[in-house]
Amino acid sequence: MSIVLDQVTKRYQGTPVVNDVSLNVRQGEFLVLLGPSGSGKSTLLRAIAGLTEIDHGRVALHGRDVTHVNSRERHVGFVFQHYALFRHMTIGENIEFALRVRKVKSAERRARRKELLKLVALEGMDDRLPAQLSGGQQQRVAVARALAHRPEVLLMDEPFGALDAKIREELRRTIRQIQRELDMTTILVTHDQEEAFALADRIGVMHQGRLLECGKPDDLYTRPATRFVSTFLGAANLLLGYRTPRGVRFSSTPMAGGEVPREVVAILRPEEVELCADELAVRSNFVSHGQVEEVLFGGAVERLRVRMASDGPVPVAPGRDGTTGQGSLLEVSRTLPEQRNFPVAVGQRVAVGARSIHVLPTPISSFTAVAADEAAARELRDSPLLSTLGARMQTRVATRIGRFERAPPGMPAIATGPACAAAAEWHLTHGAVQLLCVPPTAPLPNHVVIHTLDAESRRATLAVAASLLRHVAAEAIYLGIPPETSAESERGAHMRNLLDARSAALADHGLDMRTELRPGVVAEELQKELAAYERSMLVLGTSKPDAIQWDWLKSLLEGMPERPVLIVNSARTEPAADA
Amino acid sequence: MAASWFRQPSILPGFGLTLGFTTFFLSALVLLPLAALVFKTTALTWSEFLDVVLDERALASYRLSFGAAFIAAAVNAFFGFIVAWSLVRYEFPGRRLVDALIDLPFALPTAVSGIALATVFSPTGWLGVRLQELFGIQVAYTWLGVVVALILIGLPFVVRSVQPALVEAQRDLEEAAETLGASPFTVFRRIILPAVLPALVTGFTMAFARGVGEYGSVVFISGNLPLKTEITPLLIVIKLEQFDYNGAAALGFMMLLVSFLMLFAINLVQSWSRRRHIGPADTGRRVERRARPRNQKAGA
Repeated sequence: MSIVLDQVTKRYQGTPVVNDVSLNVRQGEFLVLLGPSGSGKSTLLRAIAGLTEIDHGRVALHGRDVTHVNSRERHVGFVFQHYALFRHMTIGENIEFALRVRKVKSAERRARRKELLKLVALEGMDDRLPAQLSGGQQQRVAVARALAHRPEVLLMDEPFGALDAKIREELRRTIRQIQRELDMTTILVTHDQEEAFALADRIGVMHQGRLLECGKPDDLYTRPATRFVSTFLGAANLLLGYRTPRGVRFSSTPMAGGEVPREVVAILRPEEVELCADELAVRSNFVSHGQVEEVLFGGAVERLRVRMASDGPVPVAPGRDGTTGQGSLLEVSRTLPEQRNFPVAVGQRVAVGARSIHVLPTPISSFTAVAADEAAARELRDSPLLSTLGARMQTRVATRIGRFERAPPGMPAIATGPACAAAAEWHLTHGAVQLLCVPPTAPLPNHVVIHTLDAESRRATLAVAASLLRHVAAEAIYLGIPPETSAESERGAHMRNLLDARSAALADHGLDMRTELRPGVVAEELQKELAAYERSMLVLGTSKPDAIQWDWLKSLLEGMPERPVLIVNSARTEPAADA
Repeated sequence: MAASWFRQPSILPGFGLTLGFTTFFLSALVLLPLAALVFKTTALTWSEFLDVVLDERALASYRLSFGAAFIAAAVNAFFGFIVAWSLVRYEFPGRRLVDALIDLPFALPTAVSGIALATVFSPTGWLGVRLQELFGIQVAYTWLGVVVALILIGLPFVVRSVQPALVEAQRDLEEAAETLGASPFTVFRRIILPAVLPALVTGFTMAFARGVGEYGSVVFISGNLPLKTEITPLLIVIKLEQFDYNGAAALGFMMLLVSFLMLFAINLVQSWSRRRHIGPADTGRRVERRARPRNQKAGA
């Protein structure tokens, strides 16, 4: 491994800007760190170069731990966005700088300079000053300068950011060629996904300080695991669907009869949408009817927006035009042959099919605030926890008022209070897979207590907890609570269970949590732990909701201060699979 | 369009008006009095003039005035740089207070600073006693006192001219040098110093020019011994008090001449070094800045 990052964390004034990032880069690999501005990608790159000290974690370059080595001795080449050429030195002097400070003989320096100028196609420019060169040429010089001392890795921080499109493309090709030629391990930081696709062997997507996903460009594009990556890499329609025996079904109205459908988050790429004159002509899976609302011709592809019928698919996140009662807007892009086969005009009614969809493996699809009246539902929806989760997860928070036959799909949310336990019982026995009890005024938690009532529910509970913790900055503790009177052997099993949970959380979800064994009465221990922190929250897992002593739950909820409680019912949680 | 041959195209209106004001104020406040000075000098014959300006007492005063101003400006260039550096690069409690203190010599009546310095550095003064005891150095009433006064007066010039240059100096240049393997000293010598050198020279020049002309603060600490601690401005005042207006004008003319030549020389060196170090980059940036508003107009 050429570059190894192990749980690298960097904080500015207490807030992590790089949060627990682990990453391996192979020798000769070209990795592109992609993310919006402020996602921490530049900070991470600077941490690798030693220009920024990290607060936690380790950095190793070619097997050498350089966490505490200064950038002078890390032996990296670094290319800055604004070239950072020494203006008072000639191009030749700039390139020789690294060799000069290493006291390399002048004949050798000259030879290396010549070699490098040839590499970046700037022969004969030795005596020019940087200001006499164009931006693209200056960046070439910067690359040559960064390579002069034969570094082990090349790090580039938005190297094309200040250049115009044409030069950018040309320089991109040059960089890729040089990188291949020298077999140089390279990390490039950019916010431009096109650039990432053009250069990368592997793309790492960063968001809010975390490395969300890292993989081959086409894998990330076709099989993203998170909402953010699916929308950040290319365009995507994020839709709420229901898993049925015959595949995923998109509709705003749940099927009649049967149990609560399992809600999933699916992405439908604009280029995977098929438009036809009527339902029978659709060769792929029919989704719904719609009306063409906008047509933009953009050269090789045509971009359209189709307003779906009001009983059609529901977007995961309410868009700008998230007016209720009206159908959602679907982004569609079509190639020239498709356009020729079926030309459409604004206002035309079309049948929409999906050639391929990808179901995100996220355990939390959407929220529904359930209350007796409108005001209470709104208060619940606007509670700090629920509104923040909805916004950060880019997901819908619906409301439901009154009594229904079945629990709503996704995660119902109810207010804590005297009726809370009864409502929880009703939801969990009427098909809810998850349930959130929220005190309407509770702040965002910073201490999340996880406990599972049985070993079977561990997997699903950890998945939900990890998803939650990715969007809420909090520390997690997993409590194992064996009975006080339990035998030594039982405690051993419990301990193993805990450690398994911990390694599973880290391996499957990248979730780092503490584990603790606390012999005692479950309700009492949980209440004690939750009361010890001002902003705590409980995540409770069970695989047998029918076996729960509802009186016990009632006493648990009533016997502790007002804290959010998330109950995961794993009985109905099947592992997510692609449809 | 007879007058437009030297006119740069510019979108800013009022070129004629502003140039008119510039010429008027320069003439009324700078050129006219200086011309009067030169004119006054012509009342003397050549031999009288030479007698005045080459008088032993006058020559000694030149040496002190220019020598002390030069030493003080050099000291200021060094320490002023350090002060500016620490103000720009470090966060420390009271930084803003120190920043404000720098300007105090500007605001204080020079006589006040002179008296204050004299009190502190006099042989019975708080610092003077200790310097005398420990090192056998007497500051007040020697040429050293003149230098100390001029350092105090000149410090803000260096700090205030170096400060913006340091703020502007790109941190990524230093980081680039660091990743290329340069030691902190090399980074300073090869990267930072060349970047702030023009500003430093400017600061030095201004401190020097101010030092040559300084009167108020110096007279209280120098002792004013003829041939030893007498600065040229003081000599001029003495001549005025004796109603020797022509002699005063002659000395003033000499100061004017020497100051002008020295400032001119420094300016030459500076523009040469700018061409060498910053190169067309500097001009390029200026062109760019001027071009931008025009482009905006074209786009509108």
